[in-house]
Amino acid sequence: MLTESVQTRSRLAYALFALLNPIPFGFFVAALIFDVVYASSANVLWVKSAAWLNAIGLVFAIIPRLINLVHVWIPASRSARVEKLDFWLNLLAIAAAVVNAFVHSRDAYGVVPESVWLSAVTVALISIGFIISAWHHAALPGGRHA
Amino acid sequence: MHKEKFAKACAVALVAVLAGCEKASYEPAQQSGANPPLPKAQSFFVPPMNVPEGTGWAEDEKPAVADGLQIEKIASGLMHPRQLLTLPSGDVLVVEANGPGAEPVTSPKQMIAGIVKNRSGKGGKGGNRITLLRKTAGQEGEWEKHVFIENLHSPFGVQLVGDTLYVANTDSIVKYRYTPGETRMSDPGVAFTDLPGTINHHWTKALLASPDGTRLYVGVGSNSNITENGLDNEYRRANVLEVDAQTGASRIYASGIRNPTGLGWEPATGRLWAIANERDEIGADLVPDYLTSVQEGGFYGWPYSYYGQHVDTRVQPQRPDLVAKAIRPDYALGSHVAPLGLWFYRGRSLPEKYHGGAFVSEHGSWDRSPLSGYDVVYVRFKDGKPEGAPEPVVTGFASADQKTLKGAPVGLVEDAEGALLIADDVGNTVWRVSARDAGAPASR
Repeated sequence: MLTESVQTRSRLAYALFALLNPIPFGFFVAALIFDVVYASSANVLWVKSAAWLNAIGLVFAIIPRLINLVHVWIPASRSARVEKLDFWLNLLAIAAAVVNAFVHSRDAYGVVPESVWLSAVTVALISIGFIISAWHHAALPGGRHA
Repeated sequence: MHKEKFAKACAVALVAVLAGCEKASYEPAQQSGANPPLPKAQSFFVPPMNVPEGTGWAEDEKPAVADGLQIEKIASGLMHPRQLLTLPSGDVLVVEANGPGAEPVTSPKQMIAGIVKNRSGKGGKGGNRITLLRKTAGQEGEWEKHVFIENLHSPFGVQLVGDTLYVANTDSIVKYRYTPGETRMSDPGVAFTDLPGTINHHWTKALLASPDGTRLYVGVGSNSNITENGLDNEYRRANVLEVDAQTGASRIYASGIRNPTGLGWEPATGRLWAIANERDEIGADLVPDYLTSVQEGGFYGWPYSYYGQHVDTRVQPQRPDLVAKAIRPDYALGSHVAPLGLWFYRGRSLPEKYHGGAFVSEHGSWDRSPLSGYDVVYVRFKDGKPEGAPEPVVTGFASADQKTLKGAPVGLVEDAEGALLIADDVGNTVWRVSARDAGAPASR
């Protein structure tokens, strides 16, 4: 979400995006922590909780991802390259989280180690998206705030 | 309402698409006997799955039976009939129940699984009661139905010792004084002893009295598929308990049996045998459900290993010391056939080939495609040991295209005339299988 084309974007959609977009990231980070704790403790409390965190993170991701899809690609010409890159990183992250939801449907220690890897990949991809967007953003003339 | 239906349809469709890839490669008969082939364990994104839609039986529709047999309906309109007991008078008790529904939803998977199960008709509401069936002298057709005991708590096993009727609810055994001939239990009953009653993931408590009536044996299922609810919840689970009929005191008679749903005395040797439902989600051809003699103090592997020493890596911490002790079951019935009824036939009126062996009802499982089970099979016994492949006796509970489920067999018993009775909890029916009258047309 960058400044150049804000005028042509719906303010409401943008506000909704800004509100909802951080939520899945928080859930996925928590899921990663829980998956790591389960892998080392084998106490099922953690893996069941991680399954919920991952699933709820996915539900919260639906609306911001759809808004982002429209913003970045309709029309594609107005989006900066970094926005497109951020889109693809998030798409991959969601794909990993969807696979992870199925991995988390396994019983007990059957989820390890895939649960840890997939949670880590999800968090890493979204993190890279945030970092490159912020990097690009900070470099824009005069514009540290959208 | 519509939205809810749509969401359910979507969930079912998504699961169907994802589960479509893995198919079983063995027929149940090929994975039966003393040495079933066991493929390598797999892990899945979505386990193999096939859940036919429960429809019940159309009027005049009935299961098919093997040559030389005929089948008739003796009761219908029951509420999830599960177990049967023939009383000395020839009256038959039908235990009508389903799970207590007390298992909390603690993972997203359980929500989806609940939707899938209800679609199959296996989630039907249980009556929490026992109905008495009495044959009206000289009359054909369905037997008289009398509500015998009500307000039970997910009952399953029922046994009569002298004039004491024991009913195994999901969390306790209750005993009643039975007066011969009565069609409604006159005794209010007293609590006899507690049974493991938390969660009740596997809720059925199979019950078998020793021939002298001094001991009761209780089949207690595990509280999970494979410890996903935590090992703490498996205390006194997945075992056969022995209860002293005098005091109610109990001890673990044999352990490591994931879900012993039926118990019986083998007639030639007098030994205790059990049917067991093995673990899910490591393959359409794993793990074969089994029929085994139950050794006192024996450990049969669950959860740490299956079929002897095959380690299940889903269980942490692992216990190599226990795996080393795990007993290999005597006889495999096939993977995911889900045996729920065991009856050693002592009668004489069925054709001679059925003398001396065991009938096993196979309720069928969600965790396999193509379907397996959904039939009643006969296992031949020689010198107290099973022999040969299980032979289908009553079939046709699932439709030929495997899309709909008309019925599913559970409890088995023989009636006063030696005919085999079958409780059908999806069809809400009790079936009676007898030798075909000479000259009568084939029933298939």
